[in-house]
Amino acid sequence: MRAASLIVIVAVALPFLLGPFWAYQLGLYALYAAAAVGVGLCWGHAGFLPLGQGLFFGLAAYLSGLTFIAFADLPIIAVLAMPIFAVASALLAYAIGVLVFRRRGESGPYFSMITLALSLLAFQIATSWNSVTGGFNGLKGIPGLPGLNDFSDVYYVSAAMLLAVLAIAGWLYTAPVGVLWRALAQNERRVQLFGFDTNQLKAVAFGVSGLMAGIGGVVYAPQQGIVTPQAVGFGVSADLVIWTAVGGRANLLGPVIGTLLVGSLTAQLRDTLPFWEVLMAIFFIVIVLAFPRGIVGLADPLASFLKGRRKQAHVAAPKRLSSDQPARLVLNGVGVRAGEFTILDRLSLDFDPTGIFCVIGPNGAGKTSMFNAVSGELATVTGSIDLGDASVSGLTPHRVTRLGVARKLQIPSVFQHLSIADNLAIALWSGRARKLQLLDPRLRRWTTPMLEDLQKRYPFLASVERKAGELSHGEQQILELAMALLTEPRVLLLDEPCAGLSPEETTAVIGIVRWAAQRLGGAIIVIEHDMSLVKELAEVVYVLHNGTLLAKGSVAAIQADAAVRAVYVGGEK
Amino acid sequence: MDPLIVTQAINLVYAVSTLAVLALGLAVIFGLLGVLNIAHGEFIMIGAYCAYVTQSGHWPYLAAVPLTLIVCGILGWAVEWIMIRPLYRRPFDTLVATWGLSLLLRKIAEAIFGLGFYSVNIPLPGTVHFLDTEYPIYRLLLIAVSLLIVVGLVIWYGGSRTGSRIRAMVSNPDLAQAQGISVRRLAAGTFIVGTCLAGLGGVMLAPLIPVQPFMGLDYVLRAFFVLIVGGLGSVSGLLSGAAVIGGVDSIISATSSATDGYFAVLVLSILFLWLRPRGIVARS
Amino acid sequence: MIAARLAFEALTGGYGTTTIVRDLTGAANSGEVLCVLGRNGVGKSTLMKLLFGYLPCRRGQVLFDGKPVSQLDPSARRRSGMTYCPQERPVFDDLSVRDNLTLMRASRQLGAFRRYFDRFPILERRLTQHAGTLSGGEKKMLSFVRGLAEDQPIILLDEPSEGVQWENILHMIATISEKKAAGAAFVVVEQNLSFAERIADRYLIMDQGRAVLEGSSSVIDRGQILAHLHV
Repeated sequence: MRAASLIVIVAVALPFLLGPFWAYQLGLYALYAAAAVGVGLCWGHAGFLPLGQGLFFGLAAYLSGLTFIAFADLPIIAVLAMPIFAVASALLAYAIGVLVFRRRGESGPYFSMITLALSLLAFQIATSWNSVTGGFNGLKGIPGLPGLNDFSDVYYVSAAMLLAVLAIAGWLYTAPVGVLWRALAQNERRVQLFGFDTNQLKAVAFGVSGLMAGIGGVVYAPQQGIVTPQAVGFGVSADLVIWTAVGGRANLLGPVIGTLLVGSLTAQLRDTLPFWEVLMAIFFIVIVLAFPRGIVGLADPLASFLKGRRKQAHVAAPKRLSSDQPARLVLNGVGVRAGEFTILDRLSLDFDPTGIFCVIGPNGAGKTSMFNAVSGELATVTGSIDLGDASVSGLTPHRVTRLGVARKLQIPSVFQHLSIADNLAIALWSGRARKLQLLDPRLRRWTTPMLEDLQKRYPFLASVERKAGELSHGEQQILELAMALLTEPRVLLLDEPCAGLSPEETTAVIGIVRWAAQRLGGAIIVIEHDMSLVKELAEVVYVLHNGTLLAKGSVAAIQADAAVRAVYVGGEK
Repeated sequence: MDPLIVTQAINLVYAVSTLAVLALGLAVIFGLLGVLNIAHGEFIMIGAYCAYVTQSGHWPYLAAVPLTLIVCGILGWAVEWIMIRPLYRRPFDTLVATWGLSLLLRKIAEAIFGLGFYSVNIPLPGTVHFLDTEYPIYRLLLIAVSLLIVVGLVIWYGGSRTGSRIRAMVSNPDLAQAQGISVRRLAAGTFIVGTCLAGLGGVMLAPLIPVQPFMGLDYVLRAFFVLIVGGLGSVSGLLSGAAVIGGVDSIISATSSATDGYFAVLVLSILFLWLRPRGIVARS
Repeated sequence: MIAARLAFEALTGGYGTTTIVRDLTGAANSGEVLCVLGRNGVGKSTLMKLLFGYLPCRRGQVLFDGKPVSQLDPSARRRSGMTYCPQERPVFDDLSVRDNLTLMRASRQLGAFRRYFDRFPILERRLTQHAGTLSGGEKKMLSFVRGLAEDQPIILLDEPSEGVQWENILHMIATISEKKAAGAAFVVVEQNLSFAERIADRYLIMDQGRAVLEGSSSVIDRGQILAHLHV
């Protein structure tokens, strides 16, 4: 609250401190700053770069301008229409996001290029559709906002809009959805494996950025009195990105500082210093490559002063949304191919609903691929996968997770830049939080009895400040295991949980797995190479070879099996 | 045959073949190195300005070719070293870096040449009688040169040792290193080939369009759409992508307007992105 | 005392933050084969990647004729005299068999491969085919021939016999013996014990990233090895 009050005080005081000319300038740049906050949301938080925000800013501006002209005698209607146009921008952005973010895999470059293309297209349309937009010279003669008299009034309207945008951003950044955005920017696959539809999350982020640009645009039209194609085209889109980067894209205020400082400076210096623009470009590249935190990064100590500290009371998390009951995982003749190679060859496996099972086999036997097929990341060509009564084949990873399947990946995949508390919170939200609840910051204080037990066993899991990336390798393995357990899955897939651990750490993990089997009552399936571990844990062992099941039985039975021996030791033909 | 139809047909071939050449540089860098060089359009712009400079210096037009190769070559080498190499494992940062580079190159061009349009004279003016119609000689030349470049590069890539080594490096970089291929140098060389191809495209195109700092944006987008539609990583993909994009743009621009042509191309690309993300010629 | 051609001391390393190989020491002398055995996941391939420079050594070092090579990347190690045939993706699937063999040689001539083609005629029959169409065992044979034909003093083979028919494994054994006699040093990771027994001069048996048994092949018997390999 300290920070918020400070910002409001500064905002109110500025025109008195700087005089009418600067008040007017800042009034204009505050609108751009609102759009820049949206760029910061997408780029600094959700991890994708929109290169065409001018589309939403300018579209909202044109719509607003046209309405103010059409209802020049009854401006109240135009004023009421303003929020509608801002929302229209948001919906357009959301729709584009849904369309473009459907790719599996790296969609970043494609998204950026499409947004660039859209803004250029908008520029073309604005320039050629003379009858509506006024063509190249723009839409002129837009009446001002009713009831405003001098430059300061104009400033206050813009500042209010900017503060509204900052309030929205501030709220979203602290809400679960903001944590999820930052998580998916680091490891999108992992967020999906916690049951969240990342494509939709990104589309929502883009939609919100469209809203913010729209808010700036609807005020821009009556304020400036004219809207030209420049408002919708490449220039403003590029400037927004530069200002956001220079100010500090991951920070709430960074884009605002970047826009107000750099934007207004550029307007002044552009004509006097011929190489100013070249310098800005070099400055941008250097900042992006070497100082991703921007200007705001330099003011770190101030930031922690402003944050303040508050004791947070915990809130009990609700129960899982989907069924808790243990379920039988069955693979029926599952085949997976990659081009010419058969990865899984009519694999049939049947796991009891409860118990600890180990899957072993030589390299390339298909163990991890089997896990990937179950969690929906590998498309099956033949066969089916069922979890209890529900069919799992063909579902996307986040839907499979929601049915009660959790995974711990081979390489520790905790969210390095998020705090330990946020990592654990994401696990708690998985399968428990409804979509709208993700907007509620109180969810960050959820806890469950299982979490409390784990925190008693491993005190480092209770730390609030530390980032997951600061933990040792063994601690990260335990954190990831804890996260998988907290989703209280019916089937837990552990992929080499003890890889790279010391003997003491390995014993600790064995202990947790046994404890978890008791607590959760479901099935735990472990891929392991280390036979001593398999002997300790496994009730049943499944041996895979060349993508199919070679043998199944107790540890003793497997050890005595001649076929298994041959595969592991090799022999003459 | 109706001369109008013949003219349109040749226009179509012209649009597709020049688009193929302009997309080639981006395809090389994006398809082989996995780097989306947003500044690709600016290298085309550099080629066009080299043509202008050659004209101002009253040198023969062909002198623009070595000039472009030198400028784009050195620049490509510097960019790969400073910006691309440290970021190979961070595709998102490469995107931002090349966007920043495109901004920088545009601003430098603006600072040196100003924002105005320049006009480069057509080195071979006039028309010639070709297939029942009068058609500009220079455009016919461009068609021939474009096809030559594309076909020549394909043959070289498939048949030469360096081409095999590039293919090896792309498909299995670890084994390539094991056999002694300096992947760093080969990747740098590949990048430079990409930037030089862009520059050559700019030299070829300069007499036909206004030369100004923002000219590159349209081309990088078009080249990008060619790759979305055609698919990365194969020549048949490049050609089919160029055929679809060039064809659609050409036909709709001729019958309706340039804006509609652009719109159609954009919609088509988004559809491909949505329904067939690997493009027409998907590579496993 | 002549330094071993290839030696490693207290080698420790792995992927990212994970440590897979712990404190491994060993050597391959001229004319000798060091055979590395162990179940899956114990770190054999990781050891090979550390030796060839794909992974950095967290601790310890790799020595070539007594000189440390830690600053050399894989292509530089290749150029200084080491050959590596990896376990996974052993050939260039997109190139022809001929191109796979001659990619880094001075010319496309196959004269130097005559004696290899006599032993592995299938490769000569498939010269123009894409290596991706070969069976797993045939790819391993191709990789083997490519590697040995490089005529380098140090040869690292990771599971060369995987998928290869026994009669061709016998040919591999004969080829390795000839190279040994000519002075090459080998480090061979193997799963196939019968193959390993016939070529090894020294054994290094691994478990959980460490050496659990090592010594000359004349001293270690089959039973001891089997005890560590068994499931």
